Amino acid sequence: MVDQNSNYALQTSEVYVHYGKKMAINNVALNFPKNEVTSLIGPSGCGKSTFLRCLNRMNDVIDICNVKGKFLLNGNVDIYSPDIQVETLREKVGMVFQKPNPFPKTIYENVAYGPKIHGIASSQNELDEIVKDSLHRAGLYEEVKDRMDDIATGLSGGQQQRLCIARAIAIRPEIILMDEPCSALDPIATAKIEDLINELKENYTIIIVTHSMSQASRVSSKTAFFHLGNLVEYGETGKIFTKPDKEQTNDYITGRFG
Amino acid sequence: MSSLEKRLAAEKRFKFYGMFAMTLSLFFVLILMYKIFSTGSGAFVRTTINADVYFDPNFIEVSSNSSKKEIMKASYVDLADQVINQNHPGLDEENFIKVREMYTRKFDYQLRDYIANNPNVIGKTVNLDISASSDLDQIVKGNYPRNVPEAQRKINDYQLSILDSLDSKGKMSKTFNFWFFTNGDSRDPETAGILGALMGSFYALLICFSFAFPIGLLASVYLEEFVKPGKITDIIEVNINNLAAVPSIVYGLLGLGMLIGVFGMPYQVPLVGGLVLGFMTLPTIIIASRASLRGVPPSIREGALAVGATKMQTVFHHVIPLSLPGTLTGTIIGMAQALGETAPLLLIGMVAFVMEIPGGAFDPATGLPSQIYLWSESAERGFLEKTSAGIMLLLSFLIIMNTVAVLVRRKLEVKW
Repeated sequence: MVDQNSNYALQTSEVYVHYGKKMAINNVALNFPKNEVTSLIGPSGCGKSTFLRCLNRMNDVIDICNVKGKFLLNGNVDIYSPDIQVETLREKVGMVFQKPNPFPKTIYENVAYGPKIHGIASSQNELDEIVKDSLHRAGLYEEVKDRMDDIATGLSGGQQQRLCIARAIAIRPEIILMDEPCSALDPIATAKIEDLINELKENYTIIIVTHSMSQASRVSSKTAFFHLGNLVEYGETGKIFTKPDKEQTNDYITGRFG
Repeated sequence: MSSLEKRLAAEKRFKFYGMFAMTLSLFFVLILMYKIFSTGSGAFVRTTINADVYFDPNFIEVSSNSSKKEIMKASYVDLADQVINQNHPGLDEENFIKVREMYTRKFDYQLRDYIANNPNVIGKTVNLDISASSDLDQIVKGNYPRNVPEAQRKINDYQLSILDSLDSKGKMSKTFNFWFFTNGDSRDPETAGILGALMGSFYALLICFSFAFPIGLLASVYLEEFVKPGKITDIIEVNINNLAAVPSIVYGLLGLGMLIGVFGMPYQVPLVGGLVLGFMTLPTIIIASRASLRGVPPSIREGALAVGATKMQTVFHHVIPLSLPGTLTGTIIGMAQALGETAPLLLIGMVAFVMEIPGGAFDPATGLPSQIYLWSESAERGFLEKTSAGIMLLLSFLIIMNTVAVLVRRKLEVKW
């Protein structure tokens, strides 16, 4: 399935993941089109988060986790190649986590941290601009512009999550991975994040793991359904939620299991 | 009696036992405190004898133009004798010695220090409070009984009569004993002070901190964040926990055998004492630091890694700053423990008689606990109150350090 088609931000094939001896992902192949939102759905423990974490090698930190497979960024960069620095990869593939995890530092420092360590800004002014711009894109700037030096953990949950999105886009990634970004948020905060995702797809490729099927149908154009480590079905979101090919998918989206 | 009544009665009894146990332990603490304070408070007061001192140039080897160094080097024994003769005229040789014994043996030093501070006093008469000898001091404070046969007294009948006549003339008085805080150790209780031991302990703790804190921090960060868990780390972990429970005298032996024996470091210096205390504190710091590193949520590490921070940047920019309050608390508590530790100091010789106040970690010194031990061994009654006063000082430092530890934790701890 891997080809040199540059319409894909990320192409994967023959992906196997084991936790020790336990298989978590079994021969998954999935491509992510550029500037589109792809949802990964499925019941708990189906491997969708594990798969997502393979895409920026966050599984590297788990000792017992063993990842095999082909992962091509922009059609030519093998992200598991020994030549690839994982830090550079994560500069291109940002991530937003399930629970908002801002650093217990100021709002400014949270956003500025990534650009600082990568040396993206050449001057303090430029850094200020990046921080401002990132917060703007994350739809948070108006709310925090007067308290950039406040500690970020004092923000509301929804604001914290948007701050984490700002932190992720401050290093100008190509792809943003979102691991159930709204599961800890109330409906209003969730709606804001979903609006944000719709805006962000103009510039970024977004891959989102979600438990909420309505969220998947609202934000994504492509949807992949995982079950027990297998990719059961992948296709246009509209089709998956109305006329899925597989019975398993149908059972899940109609709420018969999961 | 119904079952419920029985259970309620049992609960009442249990409460009573608990209260009894608590009251009993409080009672013991109070007795200890009372004993220490009642014995030790005397050390902060010194008996003095008021005397007119004529700084007779005939008995002084130096003049008001002499340099401070010359003044400090000269002898003032003759001047001191002269002052006694002036204030107690008509003494024969035998009685002179008796009267001389009523004043501190360091009389001449007291005169020397006065001249050094006021060189122009030579040739003039000044009214001074001269420190009494410790034995006289103890009589005045009522610690030695007066109404016993002369042979059982340190102060003989003649001296008592002089004391009473001085007292009736209003010459006896008591003053705050600042010498206790400014002097080093002395053979004479009235001039013995704690400063030498305090500085010894200070330098030892300084060495202890500079040695144990960075090593403990790095070891714990390495063990907790970098090394892959396995058999070797398990063995190391067990050993660290065991080392934290090793009696301190064993560390003293280590210091004696390794630092002094093998590396040839000097005996009885705070450098060696500090290193030994550092060995002892190291496991405590590592355990506390590892616990607080473990307390930093993994989501913070993930957040930093996800924006492309290296492992080391993640640890040094985020994890260590967040774990520092816990590490510091553990360190301060470990150092407080080290401050009170006596056995290692005994073994490496920080328990000798040292008069000079140490000017650094390489000067011979005692430590607070070993100084207390030294004084407690002394036969003279005057050292008994010094012992208790030393304990008061040591306890105050322990309380201060533990309070600081609590404050650090409260103030710096990050709430999640």
